[in-house]
Amino acid sequence: MPIRIHVERVSKFFALHKDRPRSFQDAVLALFRSKKHREDESFWALRYINFTVESGEMLGIIGSNGSGKSTLFKLLSRIINPSSGKVTVSGRVSALLELGAGFQPELSGRENIFLYGSVLGISREEMNARLPEIISFAELERFIDVPVKFYSSGMYVRLAFAVAINVQAEILLIDEVLAVGDRAFQDKCLDRIASLHHQGVTILLISHDLDSIRRLCSRVIWLNKGEVRMDGPANQVVNEYLAFVYATEEAKALNKKAVNQSQDSAAGLLAEADDAELPVDAGLVDSHHATKRWGSREAEITDVVLLDEQGNERLTVTTGEPLTIVIRYQAHQTIENPVFGVLIVRNDGILMSGSNTSMAHYQLDTISGAGEVHYHIAKLPLLEGRFSITAAIHNQDETKVYDYHQSSYPFSVHLGDVRERYGMLYMTDAHWSHCGSDVHAQ
Amino acid sequence: MLSSLRELYQYRGLLANLVIRDLKVRYKGSVLGFVWSLLNPLLLMLVFTTVFTVMVPNLAVPKYPVFVLSALLPWNFFSSSVASSITSIVGNSHLVKKVYFPREVLPISVVISSFVNLMLAFPVLILFIVFSHIPLTINLLYLPIIMLAQVAFTIGIALIVSALNVFFRDTGIIMEVVLQAWFFMTPVVYPLEMLPEWRLLWGIMVPVRRITYILNPMASIIASYRSVLYGNSYGAAPLAPAPDFLARTVVTSLLVLVVGYWFFRRQNHRFGEEL
Repeated sequence: MPIRIHVERVSKFFALHKDRPRSFQDAVLALFRSKKHREDESFWALRYINFTVESGEMLGIIGSNGSGKSTLFKLLSRIINPSSGKVTVSGRVSALLELGAGFQPELSGRENIFLYGSVLGISREEMNARLPEIISFAELERFIDVPVKFYSSGMYVRLAFAVAINVQAEILLIDEVLAVGDRAFQDKCLDRIASLHHQGVTILLISHDLDSIRRLCSRVIWLNKGEVRMDGPANQVVNEYLAFVYATEEAKALNKKAVNQSQDSAAGLLAEADDAELPVDAGLVDSHHATKRWGSREAEITDVVLLDEQGNERLTVTTGEPLTIVIRYQAHQTIENPVFGVLIVRNDGILMSGSNTSMAHYQLDTISGAGEVHYHIAKLPLLEGRFSITAAIHNQDETKVYDYHQSSYPFSVHLGDVRERYGMLYMTDAHWSHCGSDVHAQ
Repeated sequence: MLSSLRELYQYRGLLANLVIRDLKVRYKGSVLGFVWSLLNPLLLMLVFTTVFTVMVPNLAVPKYPVFVLSALLPWNFFSSSVASSITSIVGNSHLVKKVYFPREVLPISVVISSFVNLMLAFPVLILFIVFSHIPLTINLLYLPIIMLAQVAFTIGIALIVSALNVFFRDTGIIMEVVLQAWFFMTPVVYPLEMLPEWRLLWGIMVPVRRITYILNPMASIIASYRSVLYGNSYGAAPLAPAPDFLARTVVTSLLVLVVGYWFFRRQNHRFGEEL
């Protein structure tokens, strides 16, 4: 596949020159002013970015606000130049940065289509050929000769989207514009984007709507503070990104809490490591219950991990999919009839579920040495959120606790393909049916 | 430079659209729009004619209305182009910040639409010439060359001021004064022949007329227009401008265009973040 976009060691540096004269008047006055206070603030919007995009790829770009996504798009569409490095783009670019930015309110929709086309460097003949399709896509047949100042905002946006998407671009940059128009039009836009993708158009998509990103893109780049944090398959990158977002939020909450109640030493320790620079899986600690551990330690829990269907360790798991909670232990002596238990607590302190081997009538006779106990969940019923696992080993009648790890093992759940999002639980194996005289549900 | 010119050519459709948009907005919804745009130079002509033939009659220029209008129309083309090109980049920041296209299209389109205005006003000038019994001569064939020189010069200046205004937002205020001064320094309402050849200033003999020609390309351009349309202030019929004079004027104008374009291209990559 030919390469459409090549970004080599690109940096963009913004000087926040507060003191730069904005007028000749300032410039003259600055001659007489002392130059002591001229400290220029600056920041790196992007730093040493490297990536290539092949023809026909559909690439998602995610990252928190201020991570440099929009700056990247401005570089790709040549609105600004990089401070260093090189951006090579081959092919006609159509950028949906801000819909209808170039529209003239006094001119009719038709005239604006030609004007907008010419802004993108497209000849009048070519636009003429596309005109019917644009008008029908925008559903504006009746209003196309009305000045756009009389358009409703929905009509305006539909027209802008229709023009930008119908100009036969080889590269399409879409920046957070999918949330426009009504639901039907949104779906139509998404369909069109998908069909353009099938026609081989290279598409770059910025969105905070991670579900759309996951659905549309095969590859995702995650930008963090102007650097490429991760570049890979969509699901993997989105998962890591979500885990990071949760971790950062939690660490922030923890930090706040530590300031509020400074006696909490565990939180205090974590707070030092905070300030949003935490590595992806270091900060996944529940904020509501401080982790506590007690027990006589004849047998110890050495670790608790979550495994997905394929047996991979996960910190982020998916609603409705199989999950195995593994408790690893080390028994220092032979213990008769131990009971292993887990509790799942949401980060706001709500106990979601609890189970132990005794309740499940799973009898363990004796344990000694190292081993693992597995708790299998066929379809995870938790909806999106952050949770933590409490794991314990105790004796049969709960009079003796060998080891108890309270809220020590955090994890997040995201929805994946599940469409339900209300409440806390996903009703696995639930279904709908209909009884009536003349309607037949499919 | 060559590739950016090729790009400019590729965007000629945008240039045309911007010119059309500009004219449409200017003449919005009325035949009167065109009349209004003529009214300004005609009224000014009336004012200057009153001042210099009735109130201060010692100028003694024959057929003063044609004399002044043949210079006033080209001057108006220049000054209105420059004045409106100043805000052409800043005023279209919504476009400049969102879409890539060669930014020079914006000031150039302003100049071209002003030029269309000039062309629309020219028939009226020709009417005045005919009514004043000034012969229409073969020298009118020089007009395209003179006009091209003026368009080149005007685009050069427009490119510079439009880019400057991005960085210094009081460019417009300063240019207002500059254009006013420029108007009086240019022989529009008075004949160049009125300027003294030499003048003693602070003990130095200054060649005023020569300096006006050398430092002020507009003086040469205006003089060329007047020469082929009107003649000279001693009542001579329209005559061809001296070849070396015309050549110098054309070369100077092209030089200003090249310098303006060079300056603009040097600065334009910063527009996206300065606006």
